[in-house]
Parts: sequence; structure tokens; C-alpha cells
Amino acid sequence: MRLSSFLQSDNFSGWAFILPYLIAFVPLLLWPFFQGFWMSMHEWNLLAVTFNPAAKEFIGAGNYIRLMGADNLGWSLQPLWPFRLVVTALIIALYVRTLRSQATAGISHHFIAAIALFTTVVLLGLTGDWYDTRFWIVVRNTLVFVAWVVPVTTAVALLLAIALNREGRWAATLRSVFFFSQILSVTVVTLIWQLVYGARNGFIANLLAPFGIESPNWLTDDQLAMGAIVAATVWWSVGFALILFLAGLQQIPGERLEAATLDGAEGWRKIVQIIVPSIIRTVQFVMIMQIVLHFQVFGQSQLMTQGGPGDATNVWVRYIYQTAFRDSEVGYASAMATVLFAFMMLFSLIQFWVTKRQES
Amino acid sequence: MNQHALPRWVVIVVTLAAVVWLIPVVWMVSLSLQPNDLLSRTTANTFLGLVPVPFTLDNFQAILSIGDTPRWFLNSMLVAGGSTFLVLVTSTMAGYAFARIRFTGRSIVYPLVLAGLMVPEQVVFIPLYVMFADWNAHNSLPTLALPRVALPIGVFLMTQFFKDIPDSLEEAARLEGCGHGRIFWSIMLPLAKPMMMTLAIITFLYSWNDYLWPLVSAQRTDFFTITVGLAKIQGNFAQSQGLGQLMASGVLASLPVIILFLIFQKYILRGIALSTDK
Repeated sequence: MRLSSFLQSDNFSGWAFILPYLIAFVPLLLWPFFQGFWMSMHEWNLLAVTFNPAAKEFIGAGNYIRLMGADNLGWSLQPLWPFRLVVTALIIALYVRTLRSQATAGISHHFIAAIALFTTVVLLGLTGDWYDTRFWIVVRNTLVFVAWVVPVTTAVALLLAIALNREGRWAATLRSVFFFSQILSVTVVTLIWQLVYGARNGFIANLLAPFGIESPNWLTDDQLAMGAIVAATVWWSVGFALILFLAGLQQIPGERLEAATLDGAEGWRKIVQIIVPSIIRTVQFVMIMQIVLHFQVFGQSQLMTQGGPGDATNVWVRYIYQTAFRDSEVGYASAMATVLFAFMMLFSLIQFWVTKRQES
Repeated sequence: MNQHALPRWVVIVVTLAAVVWLIPVVWMVSLSLQPNDLLSRTTANTFLGLVPVPFTLDNFQAILSIGDTPRWFLNSMLVAGGSTFLVLVTSTMAGYAFARIRFTGRSIVYPLVLAGLMVPEQVVFIPLYVMFADWNAHNSLPTLALPRVALPIGVFLMTQFFKDIPDSLEEAARLEGCGHGRIFWSIMLPLAKPMMMTLAIITFLYSWNDYLWPLVSAQRTDFFTITVGLAKIQGNFAQSQGLGQLMASGVLASLPVIILFLIFQKYILRGIALSTDK
């Protein structure tokens, strides 16, 4: 083959066009990904290896065993049980109702109900004796964080989307307002909310002062700190879910709503029986996206509470960060990152399977 | 769009919620415009501190004339601008190739790149740190900017976009003997302008707001981005000391994204809808 015809071939052009991207992709994403696995199988101290590259030791699954090394796994179902009982009953009631009203109730109904049940029954019940190492504390904290942020964000965003899915200046302005907080960086969000929660001159304290009520110390109280972080996160991330829900709502045919209104379906009944089932796929998609996203929470915990008080708000990625950069144990930290990745993959796979089943 | 009138109480509740939603940001801006010595006594001067009376620009003057804030701001601009530029170049080219050139290996490389969508920064930041440390490359602007270029989201968006362009547009040029370079440059790129705009804006936003990577990579304050710098001074300031300046830094750190938001809101919304497309 002559050189000029090779230069004009699709093979050459194709590779030439993707080359600049591959130059970034291979060393900066693909390779580190596998390197992470490799590191997780070593006893690898950052400082020691910097001085002496041979100072790492292959230990196979050692780091993973160390992670799972809790010998008294098990959980108590006691705390919060009245709350969980009510929510569980509510979920079952809603589930049965949607099943009845919709002859075509699909896999997504069962799926959402299952996730909701799992969340309330299991995740919120993980306390005390389920773990015995710090790792399991931060895993539990991350799960609790996700279990609060995702349903609350979803509910708020869905209601707002239903209210704001209309033309006119009022709805457009409010859509921008609710979306706006989404574009701020985590440092700005935590800066603002730290001040809002401030015990002495915080906004909430200022608000309560005239009534003679002393504001609790939101971020240093181990009962309140997680809730405070969750609230700030919901404020930050509702906009994202809102946009996706609005896009989903646009696809509901107007006639269906029209017909429901003529049938006398109003208010809550219309929302529960018509609107939510119509966009159930979007709801499920948005929830999974958020689960994956919020598993990676870091800045809120790092900046607002420094993981405290104690380890009450320490989360998975922050623990990885601490282990790698404060304790220099990058091998062990990589093992944690790998397990985190497996968790997130699990949810992505669930999403993938569900979508596939719905399509077929 | 739903055209039924909302019940009045819903309108009122949602409007009130929107007002409450804005309070934290309004408060930050307002505090940044009040004198520091007032703030050390009270943060609720006029209307819970939501109105900047007495008014001053001293805080902004102070952070712009002393300290590292201008430097961090510039770093952020260069890092976010640089990575946006590189993302645009690499992902339009790769997107074009994946969508419109049949070359050997495409069916292996493209799925591999797509699989990269699932890998978050939090999973690769330790190996990346070790790698750049081996090269002695930390504390430099390219190191801060480059990892973002590797993220496949831009390639994914551009590939989807180029796939949808009808063949007929390309056909004519092909008959005239144009190669891929010509077709890409004079037919595809002009068509892709709105898409590139969307990609550029969301890349800039995410890059500007990135916290984890600059936190681990930049140890010297000269190489902090504004996000990391702001986090640093948050930790150092006692809550009442220099509060006005702290808030002014927060406002400054948000200024570019707020401006982008005000001008390009539509592109941002579209970018989010597209980048999460199933």
C-alpha cells in the first residue's frame, strides 16, 4: 500500500482523530483505574515508597480482609422503629394503590417499592453493633447520608417540578431560583451553611434569638450534625433532580392529564395516580443517579464538620482521603476506593438491568 | 406544559419556598458588603443581615489587594479555561471519529471509553496522585487541569451529536474528494457549535467547582485554586473575625459561575439533561 493512500484511509484518520483524546484517557483514567486495583493488593506506604520504590509489599487480599475484619457483623433493629413502622406502612399502602390503579404496573413499581422498603427497614436501622472498625462506621454514615438525601431530594424536586411545569414568568423565575444553588461549588455551599448553622451569629441563631430560644450547636452535636449536612446537601442538589423531572414531565401527553381532571381526579390523587406512574422511570433513574453521586460525598463532611463530632459525620471518601494522605496508607485506601466503586457499579448495573427489562 | 391553574395556596407556598431558598446566598452577598467590625458584633444588623446597611466595599478591596485570593482566582481561571479548551478539542475530534469513521478497533475502543463514564474521580485520585508525584509534577497548573480532559463525558456527548447528523450533508463533500479533515473542519464543526457551547459551559462549571483533585495535588498556596483556597481560609478564620472578607471571597469564588448561569442558563440545563441521557 502506498503511503498516500494509507494516510487517506479510514483506519489512519480514525486513529488520528481519537489519538489526542487517548493521550489523556489512557494514562489519566484507564491506567490509574487498574493501578488502583494493583495498589489495593499491596502494603503500600506513600512516604516509604517515595524514599524507596521497593518498599511496597504484595499482600493479595490482605487489605480487603482488613476492611471486612469485623467479627461481629449483625445489626440491631431497635432505634427509630416507630418511625420506620409508619414509613413502611405508607410505602406498602402506596405500592398497593399504584398496583391497583395501573393494570400495567411494571418492574419499576416493584423496584422502587423494594428500594424504599430496603432503605427504611435496613439502612436506617444500622446502629451500634453492626461494625467494629472505623471503616464500617463511615460506611454506615455514608449509607445514612444517602438514605436521607436521596428520598428527600427526590420528593422535594418532584413536587416542585409538578408545580413549576407550566409556562409563564412565575414558573420560569422559580425554576431558575431552585436550580441556582446547584451551580455553586462545594466550598461556597459549606461556607454559607456553616455560617447559617453558626451557634453564636448564625442565621438560625439570629432568627431564634428574638424568641429567647438558644440555637443548638448544629454542627457539633452528634444528634444534629448529620441532619444539618443532609439539609445543606438537599438545598444544593434539588436543582439537578428538578431539571430531570421537568424533562420527564414534558413527555406526559396533555390528554392524559386532561382526562384525569375530567374524571374528577384532583390534587394529591392526580399526583399519585396519574403523574407519578407516568414518570416512574424518570423517578427511578434520578434516584439511582443520585445514589451513585451521593455515595461520593466528601466536601460537606470535610469542610462543615471535619467528620465530627467524633466520627459522627465522617464519610467513605473522606476516610479514604484521610487514610491515603494523613496516614499515608495508599494501599489500604485503594482497597476502600475499590469497594466503593463496586458499590456504585452495583447500582449502575441495577439501573441497566431495569432499563433493559422495561425495553424488552 | 400543564396549563391548569394551581390552587392559590400552592402558589404561595412555592413562592415562599423560593424566597427561603435564596436566603443563604443573599445573606452571603449582603454580609460581604458590610463592615467587618460590625460583623464581629452582629450578623443580623438590618433585616437579619439580609440588607447590606451600612454598606461598604472594603472587604472586596481588602481581598483583592492583599492575600492570595487574586492569585487563586487566576489559577482557577487558567485551570478551568485550559481544561475546557482541551476537552473541546479532544472530544470533538474523538466524537467525530467514533460517530462517522469506520476504522479497525473502533468497536473495542469506544465501549472502553464509555465504560470510563462509570469511573468517578474518587476512585482514581490516589493512583493519579502517586503517578504525578513520581513525575514530580504536583504544584503546577497543567497537573490541575489535565485529569479532567480524560473524563469521557465530552466524547460521549459529541459522539451522540455527530451520529445524528444526516449522511447527505457529508456525501456531497465526499464526492468532491474532501478527506475527513476537511469534512470535520468545514462541515461538522460549524454544525456542532451549539453542542460545543453546552459542553464548554458544563466543563468549565465542573472544573471551576472541583475540590478533591486540587486539594490533593496543590500543596503550595501559590497553586491553590479558588475552591481550595476558600476552603483553606474557612478553616483558618474564626467565625467572627474577618467574616466580611471571608464572605467576599465566597462571592468572588462564585462570580464566574453565577455570570455563566445568568447568561447561559439554557445551555447549562440542556447540558445536564444530555449528559445524563440514558
